[in-house]
Amino acid sequence: MSRLVITTTLVAGLALGAVGSAQAEDIKQVYDFYCAQCHGVNGDGKGINVTSDFATDPRNFTAGAEMAKRTDEDIKGVIKDGGPSISKSPLMPPWGATLSAAQVDGLLGYIRKMAK
Amino acid sequence: MRLLAVTVSLGAALLVMASAPSYAAGGDAIFKKSCASCHYTDGPAKEKTISDQLAKKGPELFYAGSKFKKDWLVAWLQNPKPIRPLKYNSLTDVNKGDHPKQSAGDAAATADFLMGLTSPEVKAGVIKPAESAQAKAIFTKKMPCGGCHEYAVKGEKHGGKSGPSLVGASKRLNPDWIYAYLANIKVFKPVRDMPDFASVLNPKDLENVAAYVATFE
Repeated sequence: MSRLVITTTLVAGLALGAVGSAQAEDIKQVYDFYCAQCHGVNGDGKGINVTSDFATDPRNFTAGAEMAKRTDEDIKGVIKDGGPSISKSPLMPPWGATLSAAQVDGLLGYIRKMAK
Repeated sequence: MRLLAVTVSLGAALLVMASAPSYAAGGDAIFKKSCASCHYTDGPAKEKTISDQLAKKGPELFYAGSKFKKDWLVAWLQNPKPIRPLKYNSLTDVNKGDHPKQSAGDAAATADFLMGLTSPEVKAGVIKPAESAQAKAIFTKKMPCGGCHEYAVKGEKHGGKSGPSLVGASKRLNPDWIYAYLANIKVFKPVRDMPDFASVLNPKDLENVAAYVATFE
């Protein structure tokens, strides 16, 4: 009986692990597709669009102290409604009609993990 | 009598050839042979996921006849200078400008074929190129398109790199398509890294922006 429990737990654990890594992979893809062009693949705010014409510095997600000042609701709100929703640059556009709530939640977690 | 029959038949055959759509000359066949491995022309849009989009080697063309101006298309197919600063679907690799070139004859035939691929979502003759203070304010400040798209000021390029360049948009793009794309992006590109601006701008603003972009040299 105990062997059955251990086996079942192990299988369930492996299954959850597989789902977890798949989700992490998907969120990296979402980030790279929608965010990296300005915020950079590594989240340092140095994406390909940030030229001398770019009127602001995109948020550096690796700057832990700065990111700690932003609540989860701030970050999700900016993703959905754009920079002006928290008096920041309109160069951060609104993605609320493009991304699902699950994608926004996933991006929040992904961005938080970039902070050093 | 026999001579008359032959003459009539020949005349009828010539008439059919003359009145047939020009792409019967081979534009569809040329496209299948030379272009179809990177571009699809059978709409509606097929992409459902980011992976679907990233698997594409080039843009979908099922609405090419509504999007492009024919003169530009014929010229570009013969001398395809990069439209996107970066390679399609890449945020790191520069567009090397290695799109295949066509002869003048093939380009004309291919353009004839592509111009026949239109979208019912694009209403013809509605948007006229026009500059306006409202549109300029949206383009540069309210929803700064230049964050992702190149544009020219007095011949000098400015703007971001991730989107297709808007330099020369007046020669390349049908103003009605620009509006339709802004108003209903998902019909054309259901998975794309451009925001849905119809969710935040009203139709009049979208019309003004489309008319403004349609003036770009």
